[in-house]
Amino acid sequence: MVTGGDVRQIAVMTEIPPTPPAPEETPRRLTRSTSDSLVAGVAGGIGRHLNIDPLAIRITFVILTFAGGLGLIAYLLCLVFVPTDDPSAPPLKWGLARTIGAGLLAVAALAILVPDWFWGPQLPLLLLAGAVVYLLVRMVRDDGGSHAGRVAARIAIGIVLFALAAGAFVAAAAGTALGGGVVVAGLVIACGVGLIGGAFRGGARWLIVPAIVLAVPLGAVAATDLDVRGTWGDRTFHPGTVAELDDGYEMGLGSLKVDMSDVDLPPGRTDLRLDIGIGEIKVLVPEDVCVTTEAQVGMGAVNVGEGEQGGVDFDISDDRTVAPGVAHLHVIADAGVGYVGVGEHPFDVRGPERWRDEQFDAGANRAACLGAA
Amino acid sequence: MTPRPGYDPASLFSGVIVIVLGGLLLLDQADVLEVQAEYLLPAVLAALGGILLVCGLAGPPRGRS
Repeated sequence: MVTGGDVRQIAVMTEIPPTPPAPEETPRRLTRSTSDSLVAGVAGGIGRHLNIDPLAIRITFVILTFAGGLGLIAYLLCLVFVPTDDPSAPPLKWGLARTIGAGLLAVAALAILVPDWFWGPQLPLLLLAGAVVYLLVRMVRDDGGSHAGRVAARIAIGIVLFALAAGAFVAAAAGTALGGGVVVAGLVIACGVGLIGGAFRGGARWLIVPAIVLAVPLGAVAATDLDVRGTWGDRTFHPGTVAELDDGYEMGLGSLKVDMSDVDLPPGRTDLRLDIGIGEIKVLVPEDVCVTTEAQVGMGAVNVGEGEQGGVDFDISDDRTVAPGVAHLHVIADAGVGYVGVGEHPFDVRGPERWRDEQFDAGANRAACLGAA
Repeated sequence: MTPRPGYDPASLFSGVIVIVLGGLLLLDQADVLEVQAEYLLPAVLAALGGILLVCGLAGPPRGRS
């Protein structure tokens, strides 16, 4: 028999304790921030989504904007594709007109910012990449935040981040090759200082990525002593006399050829200085003149009539004895990445490939150094 | 390497490695020091390896364990 007191006891024993209120779930969807906004809240939204300082995102956008306009393009794409976090804003509707408008906007930005690069063979690849990004974004929109949608969103963000990193990588390499290596090295050090400072504020491991993206191309370019400052193209110099010889011939990128076959060199040493960042240096010399070569190559090959020698960061120096009173041409060549060839073959007739492959003989020039010619 | 409360060892040691590498590259670019390719490229690789090692030893960042 159950008494009234037992019923109360059972009721107390079976009472379910009140469950604490569930913590408010932070939104995982990437949105533009209305509270942390300088232009359109893109950087604020990305910073909040990735849990990093939006200032770093803004600086990245600015840096990449100067790197061929990538930052501006990425910002415009985020502005178009990422919705705002304002609940009162109307939901994003992806009609055909808006899609075409966004596509035309991106195409126009690319065509204006990088016309030489844009109208090239990579245009179909660019359109394909755009279509992939568009499909991924549509997938996220249609999925309503499910697991597949989150995976697709991460893939899309990964593609964008990879593109940004690739752009920064190329920009760092180009900046170093154009003489801005000190600035790039300074940015690497700034990343290191940021890492140490961030270590005491919860960690700043994300700074490792920009540090590596800057340091690796800087190291590669520095290792080859690459310097592409100056002119570019295919240039041939044909001085007729010693007086017409320049103090030095310098090019950034391309093919630098000097035809010395018509120059009547005076007795004694005449220096010919040549410098190229990326490309080839070719010097055509007269047969009866003593020629010595001093070449420095970051990465590539040299042929001065004794077979082709190649490698990374190597020098050759011709220390042969030259008889007094002999007309002597001393070639001082510096190539960052490329080829240096000095010989008596007419390169314009034979063409660069045959000239390069041939094991030509520099015996006449060597004999001339002893005064035998 | 056990993380102590108050700082992230991966960020700290990675920062030191990055500063040393950046300093080496800065000296090379400023023509204060001429670092040959056979030393420069291994230095970059060693820095990458060191950073990966430090991050691996330190474990995931706080709040993600």
